[in-house]
Amino acid sequence: MMVWVRKIHKWASLLVGLQMLIWVGSGIAFNMLDHKKASGNTYRAQATYSHTTNATTDLLPVEQILDTFPNTIELKHTSLLAQSYYLLTTQKGLYRRSTNTYTLVNALTGAVTSIDQKLASAIAKASYQGPGEITSVNLLLNPSDDFPKFANPSWQVNFDDELATTVYVEQGSGSIIGHANSNKRFADFVFMLHFMDYNQAGSFNNVQIILFAFVTLWLTLSGLIWTIYMLSNGKFRLKKW
Amino acid sequence: MTKTKLNKKKPLKLFNISHKLHKWLMLFIGVQFVIWSVTGAYMVFFDIDYIHGDSLVHTHQQKINPKNLTYSSKALFERYPAANNLSVGLLVDVEVYRFNVGKRQYIINARTGEQLSPITKKHANTIATHAYTGDGTITNTQLISRTPPFSVSPRHLPVWQVDFDHFSAPTLFIAANNGKVVVKRHQFWYLFDWMFRFHIMDYGDEQDPNNWLLFFIAIFALIATLSGLVLTYFKVIKAKLRKNKQKQQADKRSVGEQL
Repeated sequence: MMVWVRKIHKWASLLVGLQMLIWVGSGIAFNMLDHKKASGNTYRAQATYSHTTNATTDLLPVEQILDTFPNTIELKHTSLLAQSYYLLTTQKGLYRRSTNTYTLVNALTGAVTSIDQKLASAIAKASYQGPGEITSVNLLLNPSDDFPKFANPSWQVNFDDELATTVYVEQGSGSIIGHANSNKRFADFVFMLHFMDYNQAGSFNNVQIILFAFVTLWLTLSGLIWTIYMLSNGKFRLKKW
Repeated sequence: MTKTKLNKKKPLKLFNISHKLHKWLMLFIGVQFVIWSVTGAYMVFFDIDYIHGDSLVHTHQQKINPKNLTYSSKALFERYPAANNLSVGLLVDVEVYRFNVGKRQYIINARTGEQLSPITKKHANTIATHAYTGDGTITNTQLISRTPPFSVSPRHLPVWQVDFDHFSAPTLFIAANNGKVVVKRHQFWYLFDWMFRFHIMDYGDEQDPNNWLLFFIAIFALIATLSGLVLTYFKVIKAKLRKNKQKQQADKRSVGEQL
């Protein structure tokens, strides 16, 4: 039996040995990472809820809005840049990051508002307290590399600070998806290595890691049996180590 | 003569050191490698969305019927002048207003104006059954108002815990003051959580990968892995190359003999 254990250990190590090194190395990197820095929120302004919308008499009644937009699953009173809006959900996902479809309606005038480049820049700027200025604004219809699990279209607002901060604004709702910067991108890169997530899906359930994890099981279990065998045969002697 | 001797000796030394390092280090930390591979395999084999219980709940797409808002928002604001963050949605099949006054959340039936929050046990069961995708029956429902289990954030309190009869023991947690399914758990999640703690060697309470135990073990693990790679090089790659060379030479010789 030991012949087979040795054979399995040898060949499994050939298949996954280098990845083992990457796993341990990136694991140590996680251990040493400053997770606060790696969150990407270095220049994020604290959200101010002081101006949360009170139900003033100025607002259009929700009944009128719902009559105009009969496809609404949920209506939410919200505010963007201190301006009142009704956010209507017309297709609902399980999470905010899942596929959702929204209609944004000005709560004072009833006008449908779309988050255009100008508005997105202003929203991004309000959430930003760093020294940088906006250099470019792009509309992304597919998930961004910084937030790969966020399914909905977004405005990517780039700042020219030393951390290369990017603010993502959801196109449908105008809400902030998140901030990303070079620290977060480095952490994401380490995660990508650890999860073998080479197509950056933000997931560790990919085929390559499942295969490698399977082979690694054979490697460590054969190693375990080998060690137990050596122990029981007196192969661990301090004198002749 | 001496030169060839030196050349021969050097790699052997590296091999011997690696062999000893690998053998002895793995005697002490090999178990952690087994733990890493078993827990890691569990985490990559099971789809994370399944672990999170995404398949346990429906995302109903039922629309609001504006005709059902017979209790007007105007009347609502007269009753709660300080109402904040108003929303209109469906609670199972009833149009409701949700809002908060200060930190307190309210649910008001938009047809009748009746206050529904905090929701009753019976109502919690109805909401849970409406959301749940499985076909098991409810085995237990209880209100948690003070110390929640570690799997539920205290910000959701007070919360109804609704357990379903199924081998994975699914539980839906429904916030008593907004009627939404705020947390969903099943055995595979608890097992995942356990696996993750073992993976990052977190034997305390906080789930923090910045712990010293992990750091030191991982540094030794790095040496053990590197020495293992050296062994792989000598035992597999180099041995194979040598064999091929011998075979080639043997082939050559046999070819030579034939000629």
